[in-house]
Amino acid sequence: MKGAEAAAQNRLVSTISNTYRKILLNPSYKYLLLLLGAPVNLVVFLIYWIWRRKDPSTQAEERIHSQLVESGALIKLRADIYEQEKRKAAFFKRTADERQLQRQAERIADVQLRELVKEQAAKELKLSGQQRLSMADTFERLLQHPLFLAASFIPGLLMYILIFLYSNPYMKYIFERLVMTVFVIFGVAFLVFTILYLSPFNPAANILGQTATADQIAAFNRIHGLDQSYWVQLWNNIKGIAFFDLGRSFSGNEDITASIARKFPITLTLALISLIVAVAIALPIGIISATRPNSFFDYTFMFVALIGLSIPNFWQGLILILNFSIKLNWLPATFNPANWLSMIMPVIVLGTSLTASVARMTRSSTLEVINEDYMLTAKAKGLGKQTILMKHAVRNALIPIITVIGLLFGGMLGGAAVTEKVFNISGIGSYIVDKQFIPDIPAIMGGVVYTAITISLINVIIDILYAFFDPRIRSKMKQY
Amino acid sequence: MINKLNSKRHTNHQLKSSPEYSQASFTFVLSLAITVILLLNSFHYADGTVRSWVFLAFAAYAVFTIIQLIIAILIRRDLLQAGDIRRSTRLLGYVQLLSILSGNLFTTVFGCNLVKKRKPPEYTIAVYMLLTQLCVMAISALNLFKPYVSNTFLPAMFGLLIITVFHFASLLLVAKYVDGHYAHPKLVWIALPLALSAVSGNLFALVLGINLLAKIRRNGNPALTRWGDVWVKLTGNSTAMLGLFFVVFLFCLSVCSLLTFEYSFAIDNNYSAILLPPSLEYPLGTDNFGRDLFSRIVYGARISLIVGFASTLVPVVIGGILGAISGYYGRHTDNIIMRMLDVLYAIPGILLAVAIIAAFGANTVNLIIALSVGAIPTYARTMRANVLLVSTYEYVDAARAFGSSNLSIIFKHIVPNSLAPMIVKSTLTIGSAVIATSSLSYLGLGVEPHIPEWGNILKIGSTYLETHSYLAIYPGLAIILLVLSFNFLGDGLRDALDPKLD
Repeated sequence: MKGAEAAAQNRLVSTISNTYRKILLNPSYKYLLLLLGAPVNLVVFLIYWIWRRKDPSTQAEERIHSQLVESGALIKLRADIYEQEKRKAAFFKRTADERQLQRQAERIADVQLRELVKEQAAKELKLSGQQRLSMADTFERLLQHPLFLAASFIPGLLMYILIFLYSNPYMKYIFERLVMTVFVIFGVAFLVFTILYLSPFNPAANILGQTATADQIAAFNRIHGLDQSYWVQLWNNIKGIAFFDLGRSFSGNEDITASIARKFPITLTLALISLIVAVAIALPIGIISATRPNSFFDYTFMFVALIGLSIPNFWQGLILILNFSIKLNWLPATFNPANWLSMIMPVIVLGTSLTASVARMTRSSTLEVINEDYMLTAKAKGLGKQTILMKHAVRNALIPIITVIGLLFGGMLGGAAVTEKVFNISGIGSYIVDKQFIPDIPAIMGGVVYTAITISLINVIIDILYAFFDPRIRSKMKQY
Repeated sequence: MINKLNSKRHTNHQLKSSPEYSQASFTFVLSLAITVILLLNSFHYADGTVRSWVFLAFAAYAVFTIIQLIIAILIRRDLLQAGDIRRSTRLLGYVQLLSILSGNLFTTVFGCNLVKKRKPPEYTIAVYMLLTQLCVMAISALNLFKPYVSNTFLPAMFGLLIITVFHFASLLLVAKYVDGHYAHPKLVWIALPLALSAVSGNLFALVLGINLLAKIRRNGNPALTRWGDVWVKLTGNSTAMLGLFFVVFLFCLSVCSLLTFEYSFAIDNNYSAILLPPSLEYPLGTDNFGRDLFSRIVYGARISLIVGFASTLVPVVIGGILGAISGYYGRHTDNIIMRMLDVLYAIPGILLAVAIIAAFGANTVNLIIALSVGAIPTYARTMRANVLLVSTYEYVDAARAFGSSNLSIIFKHIVPNSLAPMIVKSTLTIGSAVIATSSLSYLGLGVEPHIPEWGNILKIGSTYLETHSYLAIYPGLAIILLVLSFNFLGDGLRDALDPKLD
């Protein structure tokens, strides 16, 4: 019982110290680790510094260095390098200053000497079976004492969390991906705010009208914080986005976050339904086209897909309204969340270009996979046509398709503004467009940034799911 | 069973040996589609009367579609029986040439393809060059039915006529004296004037002139340059050529309309001609201010092309440079540039454009900037991936060993060799730039409302959807045709430049 416990603890210690060693070799994580565990690292460094003096490698290095200098190796090295430099300058027809050459030769000779010393010292140590002490070694030796582990646990908690994340490749990947996303979101907020801040328009004058006095404009600016400096406004807006409180809109005096929260689900629902419909139509079409390349089906489907890519959303919406609402009177022309019939036309319009792109992508991706060697193997094994297609071809072809779907979904959320205007849907897109005439800075910023956040999160989820489902990515990640 | 399979494969192989067969069926399907559309439109459904003009057009199209079907069947028979197309079948191509009078360009092009057995790319380019010229002349000539024409109309038409005659003569000469890898050296004398005649906007003439000069220079040498190879592949692809044809035609029309069209019909209000249905004087009708929809669409083409090209060129240059730098230098430079671009990439293009336009106001320049900024990251990523690949090649190491500076390696060796995917991508995205332009104009965020841009025309049309739906239908068709052409061209270029690229 006790043995098992000890073994578990040993394993823990060796994992921690191994990861610590690995992180110290990583140029970007190194500083993060040193910073997060600053108190612990300081202690480790002090001990390392003390132990270092008694280290056999330091002594050996010093001895070899003095030996080399005494035996005249340094002077010979300098002369050799000086000769080389001179010949190099002559070859490239460069006129070089004598003193400068000398100095350069000395510098290079010093570097080479240091390397030589290190090499010889390492050889000597290897012969005697010893090793050069490093910071990681010190940490490992210290960790062997349970007392150190317990004492360092609280001050080095952040560092241990980092070590834990780093020790598991999935965790590390997810952590990095999330950090990137947070960075991107702040970048988006900064960018959008800066663009709107640079605007030459004056929202106060636009809302209060030409007759507004200077006092009125100043009061308006004070209420909405427009008289503050750039950094203060930026900080307030980023804080507002993080805590879902963007204040009140310039015109109409409505709570912006509440409006966005009311309108966003409508856009998202429509986009999701169109996405599902589009994928359900596009995947079979793409697969059929790929299995019969250059056939009549293939040409027809791809031609229709190309037309679908070329139709502007708003025109398609207008034509649908003209035919199905005005002429045939089958479907309502404006959107109403309570009436599912009114959802049909917006879903078709939103999904058309997505269907077209996904069908084209599915075709090309499946075609590529069909010519792979493992398809031949599967055929040679005598598997049925259906099994080969579904299990071997489509499963492998799906990976790039899902990435494309993720990216296109983002475009769909952004491009929904036009469709929403045509069908009079009160979604986030038409909200942003309505607010831009003023321009209502916090409202536009909230709309754009929350859309960007949604898209980034969707892409993160897709990326992370890949890491779990695709064996190729999984094996690549283990090495990283 | 095996015999049957074999014979089926044999048949397929024989049919595929000649590109004419697939072209014949493709042309037939397209021609049939237009015939059906014309038939459906030749009746007034409300009162059951026949629109005589549309019906006449339908009849003409139907005749040539039937001939096309016969030709396709004959070609199939010839290929299966003789393994080659007979002379008598090829002669039928001359009959199809007559279809130019009915305006059926598909069958005309097919006729030109059929009558000549061995077609160097120059021949195909010359055919499209002449067709472009004829179409521009025909469209411009519609102005004759207007109450008055612009002052420069007559001289411009005369000039166009001369160019057309010259192009026709060039086509005949090219057909006779250019063959395979050989071109008659005296053709130099038409190659230069051909390149000069491209001032009318007919870019086919420029390409033909360059190709002729190149061919004469390396006469008899079967080695292909990259440029020549691309044209061989492109001219063999009918959809890509149709796309290129429409783009060049629209460009040529935009250039010629500077002289042959009267701008006042497109922008000046004419209250005596409000919301008129299509007629000879107003081929596509008039809008709520009595402005001629036809002239407006022709003017809109200019703006769509300018905005489309500009908002593609700017991000290609900026994104290309950023991508090349980050791909070449790698490590920290790469990290910093790509992380910055990730921020841009996270905002959907249209929303970013709306935000920029909200800040700086709606006009054409701001529109181009707004569309460009959002497109930079995609081009940078494409360029970076290519540069990463190309920088591992030996010639880059060789250049470095010779002591070239980093900048000269990037711009002399790496960038020219990684341009192909950028060209394909930009062609494919010009189409979406055109759509984005008209969408933003439709929302009132694009081109200024008084300029006849296609989105602006549609915006007016959408308010008359119930009563005068043609106001919304025709500009939409123009947008679709232009975008479709760019997509066809992009697909063709992708096949021609790099078959493995996606």
